[in-house]
Amino acid sequence: MGAGTETTPDYEALRELFKPHIESFDYFVEAGLETMLANIKPVEVFDTSTNSKLRIWFGKPELYPPTKDVKSGMRDPLFPFECRQAGISYSGRFIADVWFQYNDGAAVREKFSFGQLPIMLKSKVCHLRGADPVKLVSSKEEATEMGGYFILNGLERLARLLIMPKRNYPTSVVRSAFIEREVGYTDKAVTIRCVRVDQSAVTVKLYYLQNGSARLGFWIRGREYLLPVGVVLKALIDTYDHEIYVSLTCCYSEACQREKGAVGTQLLGERVKIILDEVRNLSLFTHHQCLRHIGEYFRHVMDGLETKRNSHVGEAVLREYIFVHLDNNNDKFNLLIFMLQKLFALVDQTAAPDNPDTLQFHEVLLPGHLITIYLKEKLQEWLTKGRRLLTDEIKNKGKKFDFKSFVDVKKVLDKNSPKQIGIAVENMLKTGRLVTQSGLDLQQRTGMTVQAERLNFLRFLSHFRAVHRGATFAGLRTTTVRKLLPESWGFLCPVHTPDGEPCGLLNHLTSTCRITSFFDSRGNIRDFFKIRMSIEHVLVDVGMTASLPKGVRAGPPEVLSVLLDGRIIGSIPSSKVEKAVAKIRQLKLSGFSGIPEDLEVGYVPLTMGGTYPGLYLFTSPSRFARPVRNISLSSEEKQDIELIGPFEQAYMEIRCADGGDGGRRSIFPATHEEIHPTGMLSVVANLTPWSDHNQSPRNMYQCQMAKQTMGFSSQALQFRADQKLYHLQTPQTPIVRTRAYKKYNIDEFPTGTNAIVAVLAYSGYDMEDAMILNKSSVDRGLCRGSIYQTEFVDLAESEKSDQALKVFARSNLDKHSHSLIDADGLPYVGQLLRPSDPYYSVYNTVTSTTKNTILKGSEAVIVDYVGVDVRNHKKPLQKASIRFRRPRNPVIGDKFSSRHGQKGVCSQLWPDIDMPFSGVTGMRPDLIINPHAFPSRMTIGMLLESIAAKGGSLHGKFVDATPFPSSVKNEKSSESSSLVDELGSMLTSYGFNYHGVEVLYSGFLGTELTCEIFIGPVYYQRLRHMVSDKFQVRSTGTVDQVTRQPIKGRKRGGGIRFGEMERDSILAHGAAYLLHDRLHTSSDHHIADVCSLCGGLLTASFMQPQKRAMREIGGLPPGRDDKKVTCHACKTSKGMDKVAMPYVFRYLAAELAAMNIKMTLKLSNNAEA
Amino acid sequence: MEGVSYQRFPKVKIRELKDDYLKFELRETDASMANALRRVMLAEVPTIAIDLVEIEGNSSVLNDEFLAHRLGLIPLTSDRAMVMRFSRDCDACDGDGQCEFCSVEFHLHVRCDSDQTLDVTSHDLVSSDPSVVPVDVQRADSVGYDTSEQRGIIIVKLRRGQELRLRAIARKGIGKDHAKWSPAATVTFMYEPEIHINEDMMETLSLEEKREWIESSPTKVFGLDPNTQQVIVIDAEAYTYDDEVIKKADSMGKSGLVEIYAKEDSFIFTVESTGAIKASQLFINAIEVLKQKLDAVRLSEDTEEADDQFGELGAHMRGG
Repeated sequence: MGAGTETTPDYEALRELFKPHIESFDYFVEAGLETMLANIKPVEVFDTSTNSKLRIWFGKPELYPPTKDVKSGMRDPLFPFECRQAGISYSGRFIADVWFQYNDGAAVREKFSFGQLPIMLKSKVCHLRGADPVKLVSSKEEATEMGGYFILNGLERLARLLIMPKRNYPTSVVRSAFIEREVGYTDKAVTIRCVRVDQSAVTVKLYYLQNGSARLGFWIRGREYLLPVGVVLKALIDTYDHEIYVSLTCCYSEACQREKGAVGTQLLGERVKIILDEVRNLSLFTHHQCLRHIGEYFRHVMDGLETKRNSHVGEAVLREYIFVHLDNNNDKFNLLIFMLQKLFALVDQTAAPDNPDTLQFHEVLLPGHLITIYLKEKLQEWLTKGRRLLTDEIKNKGKKFDFKSFVDVKKVLDKNSPKQIGIAVENMLKTGRLVTQSGLDLQQRTGMTVQAERLNFLRFLSHFRAVHRGATFAGLRTTTVRKLLPESWGFLCPVHTPDGEPCGLLNHLTSTCRITSFFDSRGNIRDFFKIRMSIEHVLVDVGMTASLPKGVRAGPPEVLSVLLDGRIIGSIPSSKVEKAVAKIRQLKLSGFSGIPEDLEVGYVPLTMGGTYPGLYLFTSPSRFARPVRNISLSSEEKQDIELIGPFEQAYMEIRCADGGDGGRRSIFPATHEEIHPTGMLSVVANLTPWSDHNQSPRNMYQCQMAKQTMGFSSQALQFRADQKLYHLQTPQTPIVRTRAYKKYNIDEFPTGTNAIVAVLAYSGYDMEDAMILNKSSVDRGLCRGSIYQTEFVDLAESEKSDQALKVFARSNLDKHSHSLIDADGLPYVGQLLRPSDPYYSVYNTVTSTTKNTILKGSEAVIVDYVGVDVRNHKKPLQKASIRFRRPRNPVIGDKFSSRHGQKGVCSQLWPDIDMPFSGVTGMRPDLIINPHAFPSRMTIGMLLESIAAKGGSLHGKFVDATPFPSSVKNEKSSESSSLVDELGSMLTSYGFNYHGVEVLYSGFLGTELTCEIFIGPVYYQRLRHMVSDKFQVRSTGTVDQVTRQPIKGRKRGGGIRFGEMERDSILAHGAAYLLHDRLHTSSDHHIADVCSLCGGLLTASFMQPQKRAMREIGGLPPGRDDKKVTCHACKTSKGMDKVAMPYVFRYLAAELAAMNIKMTLKLSNNAEA
Repeated sequence: MEGVSYQRFPKVKIRELKDDYLKFELRETDASMANALRRVMLAEVPTIAIDLVEIEGNSSVLNDEFLAHRLGLIPLTSDRAMVMRFSRDCDACDGDGQCEFCSVEFHLHVRCDSDQTLDVTSHDLVSSDPSVVPVDVQRADSVGYDTSEQRGIIIVKLRRGQELRLRAIARKGIGKDHAKWSPAATVTFMYEPEIHINEDMMETLSLEEKREWIESSPTKVFGLDPNTQQVIVIDAEAYTYDDEVIKKADSMGKSGLVEIYAKEDSFIFTVESTGAIKASQLFINAIEVLKQKLDAVRLSEDTEEADDQFGELGAHMRGG
């Protein structure tokens, strides 16, 4: 509140966290969409009758900012808050040029509208782009609104960041599943995920066979196709066997067979012979024969090439499925040779397999890229379907259809509605499900998007920083993928992962981790061609020999191959490589050399049986990157912050920021230095004060609990229509805080209260993590909060069942509801509603009846806001949203937690007078926790926080609790004294005990407590788990229709199941009466009429008692009718008896009877029988 | 033992008295009496606080319950509270709490029409009874306070076009029911300490050691006599029973250097009032309430049950 305008806070650090999402979508809008359209294969339709050919392809796209659909023509901008409140999607028109060309005539352009495409908030086509906090507030958003998500039907959803195999890098893998592929296969392969410029990918696998040969495998429409490598090698370029032989065996030389880094073995030659023999055995000898062979083999799966020659089809296969990131067949050939060498090195154990679970070989799937590839497939489908429709039309010889007529063609194309494309993308984002035939080279088809919950700000933020390993790994039995591997240091937070089912699969990016993008630091789209050219130039300058036209025919250890984004650009002598790497790193920092600042220089050095050596350079987007300080440069260099990736990090020498050498000897001098140790933690983990003093699992718990804290979730609460929103009435800023707290402006969304916590066992009510709250503190507003719940009422939706038009209106007859429902049929704002009060009423125009809707649940609510949808002025109001407010003040059973994974449940609310008090200050604690919470959990950070906050509040200053202060060199030169000493002396200077303890007096007795009590302010969070949402009680209530047993379910007033295990324990106690009570009397007790003659349970039939009129005389209540029961089967009432039994037993008898099984009962009064 | 009286005659000595602050000694009684007094002052002396709020219009940023809660916590001058009735046992209004005997009505109507943020404060509350007003309003009227300093207790801030209109009813209540009725911000007592320095042993310490020992107490309890260089007790009551000096003496190898006892029958009370009633009045009212409570127990003095119920205490109560 108040004047905060003088210094508009800068939320740059916050915005940085959301960048990967927004940048990827920006690229999609700016260039990615156009590139993608250009990459869609044109289709050709051939009309035999007129002998003309129609070629259709895509042209330029246009994507517009979201607008309101006002029929008057004026297009008003549609703002995100309107979408949230009205429950609609924030999407803009997507229009693209479609070009038509008959034969070789002039091409005609036609604009097609492909419907509405969801727009990411704060992207380049969003109305909020570039808005400052003041403007954001005026557009009814948070001042800190960061965007990065979509609004779909009023819900905020974002694309999940998924881990993908690193693009364009050949990885060697050993997987036993490969053996079962076909006979003769081994478990070894080299795979590469090739990514085109438009982000679509094709994974190619190179399998090793037992006979020494290899097969190249790739997937087309859900089926894997395998080709002998020899065929592919020959089909790629016009070459001869000797050249292949030389190229493959060049990495073996007898001279350096036992040297470090030698990957080749004698066996190479033999294998090459086998490969070449295989081709010859297929009687394929020339380049063209191989091409035709491939073409013939793949003809049936290649669309639109039916009329083409085999060699043409073969070329198409090579172009579209093999190493799609490369355009040049020579490059593809070289890469295949390289992969074969790597495969053979793996087989000969001269190189180790790559671990596919490490972050080293990973990148991330970004929302913009996901939409691009999904949209590409949808558009391609649309085009092919259009072609099929056209050919069908030609075949059917429709009278009206004229192939030459442009209008007719367009009409046919419109049959396959282009508007569906936008809907398809929207549905994908809404459900997170990919509807695709090809699979898009992704390992999963569901769970691509998640809802961005605004439970509190930290949870919201974490959604954008979370990276998921993939749904396929969630079902895996093995836990290897979940392991925290050293390679993820600095990129993924070791602390911030949930425990339980998604543990280790759902990780979070560290606060400093970035994702590389298409944009350079100045915000311009990168020209990768130019970048690659300049890198090549630099490399040639430092001694690289270019691979084209003719590379050096040698391999490690003499020379190393240089791969730039999966292309072999040359080889460099191993003696020169280290200098070259240093040079590139230097240029990387200089900024003007044309070498991007986030270039990844993965130099894998020569080792004995280690990773296959080489120099791998990556410029591609969607890689992980993080800043470290380069200390190898001369000091005059101003810019020394270098962005490094996980691939190169494994081979770099990075020391800790404390200035020491970290135990490395002078042989490996450190070239880089961490900027700050907290860089390895996520934003949420960074907020835990003194997390370096806690046992590590406690920090993990805190990361989880911080995300379920009731806090100040939104400042634009008035304009939000979330289904459920938790809100803390009087939050505070923590006295003890880390530097990240300030950096990320968490004060905008505080999550807790500084409570005075006393650690003592007082009464028994703080045992086992229970805690005693001071009732008077709660009276004064401690941890008060409320839940906001929005309910949408759409009358148009319910209309479908009965055609009647319904409108909001209240009944004039029913005057009772007038105090609750306004004249418009909707509730008054501010009205308190009690359970089963009506809160809106609907008038049905056909039946002329009004129907009130009654409040469900067992607690009173307050109407906070009523919103109406007036987009359609002419029709009566159909859609409204009602926001309720449920006050949630702390009660017994609510959950609280400190910031150190110390959660507890409120067990008592005690008034001030009962709490212990300090004789000196008169202070009473706000809450009491048990000292047993500390020894086994070792959360020393919490003790420190208590002392520090006490000192800080006396001193009137915030206390910095950033972890690892001693691991940074020149940071606060107070290394002489320990942290505890510093805090302790601060307390003594204010007349308090050094250790933070105080003498307290019992509130009940007024006597001194026998020991000194540790007391001080600790920042406490109120967790969202509250008894009011969870309690379940039932005495009597609804029963199941069929079994007559009590129903289940909290919402419906059901009971809690008394199950087998409960039964067992009662049996073990011998508490037979209790058992009978629970399982029979209080359940489905039933008295059945059984015929003792035939034993039938279902044969009883009732006779109407005759003398009924007689009984009612004299105003006496009719006594219990002794109805005459007869057995239907025995035709007599003689043997009828009453037996108490569970009703389900009778039901069982009926069910059995239906299966023609008769169940009979033998009745006897004798207990022994 | 029959007929033995346990009656004691406590003495009270006022040390310091301000409107909202009271410090006194309570002697010749025990902890139960002192604590009873403390508890009564905190939770059972009645005051007046806003208890029922009828919101007529609220377009401010805070919701109705929040405002009602804030209003309730505003301390009101409650000198009338002792003679008022609890609304639950008010005959005049049948307990609905809307009559002059048990309630005071307040009105608040503020609207912001300027571009400046408008603070709605306790000054905007219009009371129907001039003797029951928000504490700071009364203070602003009385002399001795700089009126410009008194901006009132902020209830909510309004921006242009926002309006707040409400009717509030203040009632009598006690702190036990809700903390808003508690007249005391703090009531605390401590046992009077009795400090004996072993002078002989103290003399064995060097000057440096003495200083070190004195410094070991976080509060200024001991000092050095500038003339004789002897350790003297400066302020015994500053001692917080933290045992720091005793521990220090032990670690110096001088166990028994000082002996500190808490006097079991002397208490030093500190009372801070919220301003609802004067600290002195709070104390007097507390004794009054305590008496009433004891009277309630004594009602059954003649009956035999009292003896059954309280045993020896029964006799004690009869004697009083």
